[in-house]
Formats: sequence, structure tokens, C-alpha cells
Amino acid sequence: MLDHVQTEKVSSAGIGEISMVAMTGCLGYGFTEQAFQRALDAGMDFIGCDAGSMDPGPYYLGEGIPFVSREASKRDLSIMLEGAIAHGIPLLIGTSGGGGGEPHLAFTRQLVEEIAAEKGLHFKMAMVHSELGQDYLLKKVRAGKVRPLGPIGELTEDDVRNTHRVVAMMGVEPYHEALKAGAQVILAGRSSDAAIYAAIPTMRGADPGLAWHLGKVIECAGAVVEPKIGQDCVIGRLHNSDFVVEPGHPDKCCPRIRIAAHTLYENPSPYHLIEPSGTLDTTGSTYEQIDPRSVKVAGSKMHLADVYTVKLEGVKRLGFRTMFIAGIRDPGLISQMDTYISTNTAKVAEEAAGMGIADSDYTLTYRIYGRNAVMGSLEPVKETQAHEVGLLVDCIAKDEATSRMILAKARYCCLHNDFPGRMCISGNLAFPFSPSDISVGWVYSFHIWHVMELEDPLEPFPIELVEV
Amino acid sequence: MALLKNLAKVIRSKNAGALQLTLDVMFADEATYTRVRDSDALNAHQVAFLYGISHNKVSVIPYDVAYAIKVTIPRAAPSGDPTDSDVYGAQQHAPLLDIVVPD
Repeated sequence: MLDHVQTEKVSSAGIGEISMVAMTGCLGYGFTEQAFQRALDAGMDFIGCDAGSMDPGPYYLGEGIPFVSREASKRDLSIMLEGAIAHGIPLLIGTSGGGGGEPHLAFTRQLVEEIAAEKGLHFKMAMVHSELGQDYLLKKVRAGKVRPLGPIGELTEDDVRNTHRVVAMMGVEPYHEALKAGAQVILAGRSSDAAIYAAIPTMRGADPGLAWHLGKVIECAGAVVEPKIGQDCVIGRLHNSDFVVEPGHPDKCCPRIRIAAHTLYENPSPYHLIEPSGTLDTTGSTYEQIDPRSVKVAGSKMHLADVYTVKLEGVKRLGFRTMFIAGIRDPGLISQMDTYISTNTAKVAEEAAGMGIADSDYTLTYRIYGRNAVMGSLEPVKETQAHEVGLLVDCIAKDEATSRMILAKARYCCLHNDFPGRMCISGNLAFPFSPSDISVGWVYSFHIWHVMELEDPLEPFPIELVEV
Repeated sequence: MALLKNLAKVIRSKNAGALQLTLDVMFADEATYTRVRDSDALNAHQVAFLYGISHNKVSVIPYDVAYAIKVTIPRAAPSGDPTDSDVYGAQQHAPLLDIVVPD
């Protein structure tokens, strides 16, 4: 038997009620103090908050920075820390810093320590690390413990060596360890969103199906609340055979349909949701509006897996991106964008070659807003009726200097080159800004989107305890 | 007959992870939901045609409790890749709007 099977064992004595407040969809997205205070007054067993996502793309994991502002994160964290310490209850933060990598965790730790110093707060804190070293991952790949999660190839040893940063997504077990070690505040690295809320209940012997489903429902906090204006706290109350969800704010409500619909959100299936320890099955779940503000859910099951798996998310660095954006209003040019672009691309390649840069050393991409920049070849509307289009050109090259050099060539060609029937011979582009060329930053791509088998759910998640 | 956009309350697209796109079509009431679900207008072959992929890569799941039909397909490129055009996958729903639902 694996450890996790025991850690998610249902208590025969029952759990009574375990109550929790999910602060906001993402640390830094905000919540009302009124909603939080109401939750605290009602007596919560713990506070949870998700702080990250891979939805904003590979850049933030690669760069090691959050996708929300430091100031907004500090505001949210400050209020929840004070609440947790004043009420003597745990505060669990998942996917710290946005990506859960080492710099993300360090960012969040620094914020917490800054707030604690300013407010005179003292507590025991656990940091649960989740960034993997290449040697560790290579061993797992060689042992055949890693496999694709969705439409992506097998992970190769070269992929691992080309990795800029990779994290593993933890389940509830590292939280259990941190809590057993006496931590009141847990800053977790990359974490299953639902695990933030399932951790304490599964530790106390709650039904894992209900615990995980409740976690799933409230992990985006205010997303299940109406009116949906900004983010806000949501309260979950877990019992032996059901759970109840209600908004923290007295003027808001949780409609049944929003609670039921939430398992659709960002998941491939609303019925089967895969977590490290198994699959949450909502096939038999029932959703009942018990009062205008609250919904009761029952019947959810957790099918524990034979093999414990954690998701891996990793990025490699592709190069440096620069870009310009410009408008085109000339009807003659709009009608022949394809040849205009291919002519310019060829000219840029010729000029680059003259400076010793092969066309394989850079990627130049043209996006025509007003035509098909959003859907590309899938765009069902083939002929644009637009009287103006937006041209976004970006260049990815090995470093900033090369990227800027190629982009400047592309800008000159696009601005000044002739095309058949050209009447406005002074320039083809309307630039909204000076400077026109913008350094965007390093470019990363997700090349690891896999699962890794584990015999010990704690193995890749070292826990560091500190007294704040 | 009617167009899907005139029957649904929500037609949305979003990433389901970095490699998949999920499209949710949601209805305001059970009758409309059942009509569309049972019409089979939103089937794997139709979605495959609209999104230029093979029908065996399309998953269509009716979700009765929320009056919703969920469609999941592979992304053409991972979220944020140089050839990707929609990092969140939030504007890939348009081809579904004009699906014809028979009476």
C-alpha cells in the first residue's frame, strides 16, 4: 500500500464540520475585507489561497517572476496573514509566486517576511520546494517513470538537458508533512489547486471524493459567485457526506448552476478530474440550492490510483523577442498583404546574410490583426472587409542585439518597400509610438508537460521550516 | 432550425492545460440544452471539420447537471509557443457560433 492511500483514509469517527475560506482566484487578484471578516467571524478551520497558474504561458515560469504585481500580492497576503495569526489558524498558499519555482518561492517568502516584520507577526512557516534538478529528472526518465500528459512527445534526455526550469505539481501529502511539523503558514511551490483545500480535510479523515471536489469548486474562489464583479472569498464547509459552498460576501450568492459548471472550467472533462493520488469522479455528484446563497454537493467519489503521479511543467529558452506594431490604412496594400510580407521576408533574409546572420538564426513572425491573427489558418472568414489592419511583427533571435538588428531591418522593409500600385510612397506603416521597436524579453516554450510516477509522494518536494 | 449562438447562453474557449483547448457551450434551460444535445449538431465530426483536425482527436461530453456540452481538442501549438496566437485560448470559439441546429 502506498502512503497516500493511508493519508486519504476516511475516519470512522466522522469529521463533524471542517470549514475553510478560499481567499481569491489568485493571490493579488484581490478580495473584499468584508467577505474575509465575515468568514473569520463564522470560525474557519483554515485559510487557503492559490497563487499561480500556467495559463499566462511559459514566460513566467521561465523568468521566475509572478504575473501579478508585488503590491497587489502584498496587500492580499498582508490581510490574510493577519487574519490567520489573529485566529490561530493555518494559512496555505499554493503555487507561490505564480509558477512555484525557486525564485517564485523566494519572492513569496520575502513578501511574507516583510509583512511579518512590519506587523510584528511571529509564526512557524514551511516552504515546500517543487523545482526539480536536471539530474533527478534524468534518473526518472531513464527509469521510465515519465510519460506524456496529452498531445506531446516522450520526454527525452536532451529535452531534460535543454530545460530552463521544471516544476512538479504536489498533492496533499507535502502539506500534511508541513502541518505535522507544526507549520502555521505553508508556502507551497507548484501545487494542485484543489490540494490546497483537500490537504487538511484528508489529514483529518474526510471523504477524499468530497474533499477534492470541494477543493476543485472553490480553488478559483469568486468564479462561482454572482454577481461576478472582481474576485472575492468563498466559504466551504465539509461534512461527512456532503459539502456546502457559500460566498463570503453577504450581498453575493452561489447559484447551483455555477457550482455544477465549475468542473467544466479549464478541464478536459467535467466528470473525471485527475489528481496526483487518483481521479475525482463527479458522475454521481448532486447539486442542491439549499438557500439563495448556498449550494450543497454530495455523491462525489475519489478513485485512488494504483500509481501515484505528479504533473511536470517545464520550459526551455528559445531566444530573445523584440516587436513592433503598426497600422496599415492603404486599401491597395491591404489587398496584397501576403506578397508584401513574402517580399519583405526575403529582403530581410538577404540583408541579414550580408551581416553574417543565417535565416535559421532568427524567427520573424507577421501577424495581421483584422485578417487572421487570432485564429491563423483556422479562421473561417477568408476575405477581410477591414478598412485598416494592424501589423504585429516579432523577431526571436539568440540575444537581444541580434533580435533588435533583424527587427529593425524588417521595420525598414515594411515601411519603405514598394509594392504594385503603391501611391503613398512616403511610408507604408502608421506607427503609434516612438520608439517603434520594443524589447519584449526572453522567450520560453513549454516542452515538458508530462506526468512522473512516484513511490513516495514527498520525494521531489523538500520541506524547509523557518521561524518568522 | 437555429444557429447555436442563438440557442446558447455561453460559448467559450479556454486552455485545458498548455496542450489542449476546451470549448464549453452552456444553455439557460434544460429544454434548450436537451434539444441541442439530442440533435447531435455539435458532434466530433463537425468540430473536427471546423478546427481542421481529425475527428478521433475530438472529445464531446454532454454535462447534464450544468446544461452544458464540453468539447476538448488538441491545440495547434502549445500555449505561448512562437506560432501560437492565443496564450489563454480564450478567443477560439467563433467557429462554433454558426453551427446549424435542426428543429
